[in-house]
Amino acid sequence: MLATAAPTTSTYRMPTPSENALAERAIVIAAQRGSDDAFSQLVGIHQRRAYAIVRAIVLTHEDAEDAVQEGFLHAHRALDRFRPDQPFGAWLYRIMANAALDLVRRRKVRQAEELPETIPMPFRDPAESGELKERLQQALTHLTDRQRAVIVMHDIEGFTHGEIGRTLGIPEGTARSDLHHARAALRRLLQNLRSRS
Amino acid sequence: MTQDRWSSSDPELTNALRELYAAPADEHYWNDLEARIIAYVAAGNSSEESESWWSYLADMARPGLVAAAALILAASALLVHSRQLEVSNAYASVINPAPPSVEAATTRAAAIGDGDFAIHYLISH
Repeated sequence: MLATAAPTTSTYRMPTPSENALAERAIVIAAQRGSDDAFSQLVGIHQRRAYAIVRAIVLTHEDAEDAVQEGFLHAHRALDRFRPDQPFGAWLYRIMANAALDLVRRRKVRQAEELPETIPMPFRDPAESGELKERLQQALTHLTDRQRAVIVMHDIEGFTHGEIGRTLGIPEGTARSDLHHARAALRRLLQNLRSRS
Repeated sequence: MTQDRWSSSDPELTNALRELYAAPADEHYWNDLEARIIAYVAAGNSSEESESWWSYLADMARPGLVAAAALILAASALLVHSRQLEVSNAYASVINPAPPSVEAATTRAAAIGDGDFAIHYLISH
């Protein structure tokens, strides 16, 4: 008589955050030793978060892709200087933010070279465009790069003030202040539209 | 209504912001982006390696040029000095002809004889 198979119970459980951190540390160490596969794994793990951070800083999706690529290149070159006892994500995202800010600066320099006189934003009647999104997009261009990054990272991506501060290399209080000013500026810029609707 | 009415809890604006900043949801997009990132990193590192190879040569070029210039100067100085020496020797040989050698004088003495040699020697000097 064949023995009946014992009912299989799923032994899989979700890894805890500390287990994830240990696994990631092992991947980072392997990448530091020159493993391309390990670095690919790090790209796979962090690319979405990295994209979200740089997208908060640059103005277009295309620039965000460029900044992510540039950020990972910088990270790969600096990998041997990373201490594995530190959180890899925080280190990587700081590099990403710098890559994005650098890209924004380069874009501004290029625009200044190409356009000797400032060209005003084309006026679009909100009633005509009929979309808050378009007006919002315009309003966001009037914020500073850092204000835009802070408001998007906080309100859209759910970063805490501390995480924003560490990523952008600013004190937590400055992140709070930037958030306050960004909201006030957006309120002001969107006031007309909102009072009409 | 106060000016502080807009906050992250404002659903209309937050939704508009989310829509504006929405990351692509397609899994293929992320696989593709990952591949592009890896290719970009590989290309960037290989160009860095070639740059470093060139920069190594460029670093070598400056001291190499300085050394070559120093060598050329030293060789030129040596050449000028040796030519000056040759010219001065040539003038010296014309102005001051060399005295007869002892060997030649001895030979002549043997041919002439001891007494005659003494007279010849006194006349020539």
